[in-house]
Amino acid sequence: MTMANLIYPWVLISVHVKLDRPVIAPGHGCTPGGVVMKIHEKILTHYLSCTSPVDKEGYLYKKRERNTTYLCRWFVLKGNLLFYQERPGDRILLGVIVLEGCLVQACETDGQFCFSLVFTGPVLRTYRLAADDHLSQESWIGALFCASHFYLSMIVRDLERRYEEARRDKGLCDSIQTSAVTSTPNKIMASWNTGQPYFLHGTSIVPRDGRSYSTSSVPPPSMPNRPISYSLHAPPIQFKTTNKRSPKLWPKTNAHVTPLNGPAPSFGKWPVVGFDPLEEFSKMHEYYGNEIKQLRADWLRKKRE
Amino acid sequence: MRFNEKELVFLSRQPSERAAELGMRGPKKGDVVKRRLVKLIVNFLFYFRTDEDEPIGALLLEQCRVEREDDHVFSIAFLDEAERKYLFECGSQEQCVEWIDAIVKASYEFMRKNLIYYRTEIHRLTGKDPLEQYGISDETRFQVNSGLPPPPT
Repeated sequence: MTMANLIYPWVLISVHVKLDRPVIAPGHGCTPGGVVMKIHEKILTHYLSCTSPVDKEGYLYKKRERNTTYLCRWFVLKGNLLFYQERPGDRILLGVIVLEGCLVQACETDGQFCFSLVFTGPVLRTYRLAADDHLSQESWIGALFCASHFYLSMIVRDLERRYEEARRDKGLCDSIQTSAVTSTPNKIMASWNTGQPYFLHGTSIVPRDGRSYSTSSVPPPSMPNRPISYSLHAPPIQFKTTNKRSPKLWPKTNAHVTPLNGPAPSFGKWPVVGFDPLEEFSKMHEYYGNEIKQLRADWLRKKRE
Repeated sequence: MRFNEKELVFLSRQPSERAAELGMRGPKKGDVVKRRLVKLIVNFLFYFRTDEDEPIGALLLEQCRVEREDDHVFSIAFLDEAERKYLFECGSQEQCVEWIDAIVKASYEFMRKNLIYYRTEIHRLTGKDPLEQYGISDETRFQVNSGLPPPPT
């Protein structure tokens, strides 16, 4: 392990530092004057030590809550839980951070290779962490970003849908679909619009080499404090319509009416308008509007006859 | 052990996958059944006194076994301690079955296995890795050999 005491002169290198506040009782929170909720520590430590996969582990520096010092800790990421202890293999677990409802951001205010877990909500805290080098910082941000249960459930739901689609495409499904459902796989967007507005998951995510992105914006990792709302929603579903109106049915005498499903008329047929786009639009709108009104009037008259 | 309690309490107030007033009994000898508001959110089971806003506790739903004990009673056992179970009394058989199903599916490890399954199948059917477009195909947590049960000892 590299002790980066040259880069972080404020870091307490010693791993034998005492806890900054006494533990009230095992498995209980320590909110002064607040709630004491039992988290069943044994269940958590069991999850940590069992054979389910460890998603990432390593040394990181963790800033103390009411202090400016960073302490060196061994972190273990498993599922949506970030455990920390003094050293790997320690029996004593110092703490755990439940990773739901937080943003993961690179944050350079305290120095290089820092990043934060920003919990969004009233009175909620920000955990400040720091890595040894850029690679480690990048790797941790990436791992923490996709760690939440919520994120996983969205991906699973999306994959489930695409699995069904893939099966249908291969003719493996029995159900008859009345409309062809197509998807545009490269348009999975990052935008938040579900019924849980308190959640913001985001990161100044680092595009790794060779990775193709289809999100609309991928800022570089050095941009500090840029929470980006991030989630997934299903790509737009396009339905094939069975009653497409043929352009031939449009009355030929009204060349200025643009058929909805056909190509725009060639330039010479557009009404001549001024240069200003806004003026142009409203004039065009009025022009076409009058055209439509005339058409309707004609149609109604013919109907009455 | 410290944990982000305020954040967890905040989480416990969010819309849940499932919430109901159930009879709940702890795993120790001498524990009695008490009415609790039980809320399933992500992979945590929060439980509240019925007239309070703040949860008394949170059970992490990983590495646990959920069992039907009776028509309308289910149990959750942790730590491979089959005898130490939390018991939950439901209002009906249907409710009991629904809770068991919901709790099993809430586990992170369960969802991870599903993801790996779908990822593998989609790749097999289409030749494409569906995680590539999210930019997460290299993340260790989504790898195909991840989440597999350990070999029998």
